[in-house]
Amino acid sequence: MVLVDLAASKAMGSAAVLLFLTVLMLAAAKRMSTSIVAFALQSAVLAAQVLAVAHIHRSTESYVIGGLVILIKVLGIPYALFRLVDKLQAPRDVKLSLSPVYSVFITAGLIFLSFTAVHTYVQELRVSEDVLAAAVALILSGAFLMVSHGKALMQIIALLVLENGIFLAALITTFGMPMIIEIGVFFDLIMGVLLMGVFAFRIRDTFEHLDVSKLRRLRG
Amino acid sequence: MVLLLPLLIPVLGAAVVLFFRRGTRTALLIGAAEIAALSWLMFATYRHGSITFGRYLRADHLTTVFLASLCLIFALVLVYSSGYLRHLPPERFSSLRWFYALLFLFLFTMLASYLSSNLGLLWIFMEGTTLASALLVGFYETEGAVEAGWKYLVVCTVGLAFALFGTIALYLAAVKSGVAGGSALDWTSLVTAAPQLSIMKNLVKLAFVFLIVGYGTKVGFVPLHSWLPDAHAEAPSPISAMLSAALLNCAMYALLRFDAIAVRAIGPGFSHHLLLLFGGVSILIAGLLMIVQRDLKRLFAYSSVEHMGIIATGIGLGGPLGLYGALLHTFNHSLAKSVLFFAAGNVREKLGTLRIDRISGMIRMLPFTSGALIFGGLAIVGMPPFALFVSEFAILSGAFSQARYLVAVILLVGLTLAFGALLFHFLHMLGGEPKDTPESRKVAGTELAVIGACAVVLLIFGVHVPVQFQKVVEGAMAVLQQ
Repeated sequence: MVLVDLAASKAMGSAAVLLFLTVLMLAAAKRMSTSIVAFALQSAVLAAQVLAVAHIHRSTESYVIGGLVILIKVLGIPYALFRLVDKLQAPRDVKLSLSPVYSVFITAGLIFLSFTAVHTYVQELRVSEDVLAAAVALILSGAFLMVSHGKALMQIIALLVLENGIFLAALITTFGMPMIIEIGVFFDLIMGVLLMGVFAFRIRDTFEHLDVSKLRRLRG
Repeated sequence: MVLLLPLLIPVLGAAVVLFFRRGTRTALLIGAAEIAALSWLMFATYRHGSITFGRYLRADHLTTVFLASLCLIFALVLVYSSGYLRHLPPERFSSLRWFYALLFLFLFTMLASYLSSNLGLLWIFMEGTTLASALLVGFYETEGAVEAGWKYLVVCTVGLAFALFGTIALYLAAVKSGVAGGSALDWTSLVTAAPQLSIMKNLVKLAFVFLIVGYGTKVGFVPLHSWLPDAHAEAPSPISAMLSAALLNCAMYALLRFDAIAVRAIGPGFSHHLLLLFGGVSILIAGLLMIVQRDLKRLFAYSSVEHMGIIATGIGLGGPLGLYGALLHTFNHSLAKSVLFFAAGNVREKLGTLRIDRISGMIRMLPFTSGALIFGGLAIVGMPPFALFVSEFAILSGAFSQARYLVAVILLVGLTLAFGALLFHFLHMLGGEPKDTPESRKVAGTELAVIGACAVVLLIFGVHVPVQFQKVVEGAMAVLQQ
């Protein structure tokens, strides 16, 4: 039992660093598969965080949520994304619109930015500063991935990263929203990824590429 | 039960429609049942003031105002679609039964957003509206439709992610100021407990900023409107009408609910100023962009952005006149905009294009459709005796009575711009020599019926708002301002 307590507190403590690593990994990734793995790892850190909260607060609901995170975000969605990459037979590179070096630098800048952004709220909310900063960094870097990548699949991952950030923010500040809401959000997430997959197929079939940045017909 | 029935029918209906090969008649039957259920619900709410079912469903006068327009628009869209979609080739996802199934799901998600008493559920169903309608936007498998569908899906999902963050921040503020966790997302208990939230002033402000950006994306406030003209222009015309006349209102409804909480918690200064800001920018920019549009449906889409700006301005002004005008305007705008999109659908069907520069002499080729366009155009720019005049005048006099002359000037400039743009484009399309002859001038009975119905209601509401509706709107104002 002592060991579990120790693991829980370690999970809480080291989560932020691990999350920053996954964010940087996503920024530097050159291949689709790397990005998907980075997302899966990120979700795994999140799951550990949820389970740690569940253990510390002795909350059954949080255990269920943790299980769902593992099932959906660590296993389900990454698996579906790998299948999608396979089926679409698309080129495997991520189509970054600027060099990975700049991308990593900007992401590092975003991490700094998120520390300054949360500074005013940390005392009011009494939460750990680095985890809250990690949550904001996930949101910001998700938005950044969205604009810096042209591939439809990469935009799906960007959206998932953004959602991970919101999930983490909710988790550490409120110890989770009410159960029914969490489940509804998961449902929307699954449906959203599914639909985006459908659209990825349609984009490929109608345009014969998956490069969303080349979709420029509709303007103004 | 009365709350559950209108939610069950479209879900089951969507499943049933999929069993039929074409399904138009089945869809009309289910639609009729749904409209009956909705009318029952509205009547019950009208009599009792508010109804609750379990912990998560609730309807009050404010809901009824929005339900009334949703119910009407849905009925019109369903009837119009039954005539409009006859020529579609039966293909997967582009098949009629999928169209109706998705339409029912779209209706379900909107209804569920209106009927959720829990703000978390409201978010879930708002996201559901994006998911249910994305495939409808991309229904024609053309390049434009696929692009518009993808853009709509991604932009709105990201926007709503911010709204989720805002909802969580509000939940956090409520929990930290002593509201019990179980009811900290429940609208009724949040409104009652809102004055307590003033101790978390910064957090409530942060929450509202995220909420207005998030739901504002869905409403189509400039500069968050990038998805809107594409989606409206590329979707089949009945869906364009549904998006413009029903979906935008739905997102506005969410903002209204949150605004009521924010006003009680931290005073009207913050949230109302933000609404006025977004509203004013939307009115002006959309008015300007209307002038340069080349596609008829994009023109109407920007007009929707403008009218959402007008509604936001009404809410932002607050007070009896502003709020009354805003609520009435949601209803009026829905009707007038449906007329325009239905007419645009006819243009597309008969002439095969919506490019304004390629159309001329329409009044001789398609007299009925031209008449509908003129009628809808006059109504949408707020000419008396049409209903939009009443609501726009109320908002404008609200601005004058509060001595907010800048707001009034923005409104007037925006309305003038829109009027000029519509006049300019319509003159070009309607006048001149016909370029080619349409395949047939025959107007389908369904099209005649829906446009006629809209016209009648617009005229009635322009001359005199029915007493019952007046009462409901006043009830809704009381709900928001109690």
